[in-house]
Amino acid sequence: MSAARSFGQFYPVASPLHALDPRAKILATAVLLLGLFFVDSAAGLGLVAAAVVALVAASRVPLVTFLRLLRPVAFIVVLTVLFQILFSREGETLFAWGIVEVHEGGLWLGLFLGLRIVLLVSAAALLTATTAPLALTDGLEDLLSPLKKLRFPAHEVAMMMTIALRFIPTLHEESQKITRAQAARGADFAEGGPLARVRAAIPILIPLTVGAFRRADELAEAMESRGYRGGEGRTRYRELRLRLHDVIALAATVLVLAGAALL
Amino acid sequence: MRLELRNIRHVYSPGTPFEVEALRGVSLSVEPGEVLGILGGTGSGKSTLVQHMNLLLEPASGDVLVDGVDAATLKRSELRRRIGLVFQFPEAALFAPTVAEDVAFAPRRLGLNEGEIEDRVRESLVLAGADHLKDRSPFALSGGEQRRVAIAGVLAMGPEMLVLDEPTSGLDPASRQGLLRLIQTLQDTGTSVVLVSHNTDEIAEVADRICILEGGEVRAIGSPAEVFYTHPEFAPATVLTVTALDEIGWDIGQPVRFGETLRALGDLVEG
Repeated sequence: MSAARSFGQFYPVASPLHALDPRAKILATAVLLLGLFFVDSAAGLGLVAAAVVALVAASRVPLVTFLRLLRPVAFIVVLTVLFQILFSREGETLFAWGIVEVHEGGLWLGLFLGLRIVLLVSAAALLTATTAPLALTDGLEDLLSPLKKLRFPAHEVAMMMTIALRFIPTLHEESQKITRAQAARGADFAEGGPLARVRAAIPILIPLTVGAFRRADELAEAMESRGYRGGEGRTRYRELRLRLHDVIALAATVLVLAGAALL
Repeated sequence: MRLELRNIRHVYSPGTPFEVEALRGVSLSVEPGEVLGILGGTGSGKSTLVQHMNLLLEPASGDVLVDGVDAATLKRSELRRRIGLVFQFPEAALFAPTVAEDVAFAPRRLGLNEGEIEDRVRESLVLAGADHLKDRSPFALSGGEQRRVAIAGVLAMGPEMLVLDEPTSGLDPASRQGLLRLIQTLQDTGTSVVLVSHNTDEIAEVADRICILEGGEVRAIGSPAEVFYTHPEFAPATVLTVTALDEIGWDIGQPVRFGETLRALGDLVEG
């Protein structure tokens, strides 16, 4: 159970953001991600930043947990900022030390780009932290369904994503079981160089792959025996309904981004 | 080899909302050469307990003693060689292209030379009744055959004690019988065996002592007759039959195994 918990970034609490329709949240996130590229003033970026901070507060996801979601991109942000500061030669020279020169323009550009990346990732993290994986794939399926006219398999893609998400904890548990079974046969996964470690992983990876194929077979059989045959004419147990507050949230996002882009 | 567990406690996911105390102070011993049967329902802590026997899981508190020596001070690889652990559904960990290579995994890890490895592989496959399968792919075998190969893979370490977690689950009656015979063969060669199961009829046939685990605690431990005749909810069909006869006034003692019960019933009919 603890393993299932550490996977996925969904943080199950009750908040106004959790209660929104997943389609509204996906669209709002898309608006935010695209809109950010049209924001080119400090004031505009500040407005978006204020909005994102307000949303994080409204999501009731503890700040520490939320920051942990951003950690994977911390390296990229730092690298971007440093690159801009060190290699951009615009504006007044703030200080020079040997070949290292820091210019005012570079400093601003670095901070601007860094903040933009943080905001992009925060928006995506907010979506996944406040939307259950299944609701997310349901929402995506609905949003992609107009593409069915172009023969895009929207339902099938959503079903594949759902299944993939469902089996992450299962495979994790399975890999732990196999690891312990091989450890009981004397396997040691911590010793030796990189090559030795890759070789040590083979007795885990092979049974894990074999098991995954077996599970896939069993799942396909179970789905077929219940009459599953794809998207055509399928109804859903949980129907998504767009309500007034979903529309308001989406409209508010569009307005904030439009405002920020114009500033 | 004598294994002793003293007051073992184990907690899963400590410090989280998912915290579960799986073992609440379990003490028991496995005497040299005996077959200890561990019975208990699902969630009683059986599988958690057996993983403490070779320290694949570390106890939150309590000690594991091997011949009186604290197991925590022994080399883990040596400990795991001496106490072979066969997990539930062990066939899920088969990985090599042929049965012989899979069984050779453990002896190879022990650093034996090729000749010794070959001997170990042949001996353990014969013991597990899977010698005829040695050149086949483990993935092309039946479930029962795979189980035997997986057990041979642990036997190949030459363990002084073998711990089997639900070894017969999902097997057909013939494979079950084969497995129970293997346990008796191991006992004859001086290997102690821990057999975990929730199949009480099976345990009754091979165990020298019985331990009942419930809610992470030892509910009862002792000879099969003691334990089964005082805990009818865990008793095998033989004990239930004898108890029913006792209730209508026919006392034929306290047989447990099928053969003993049959003889006692025969005496009753003749006498």
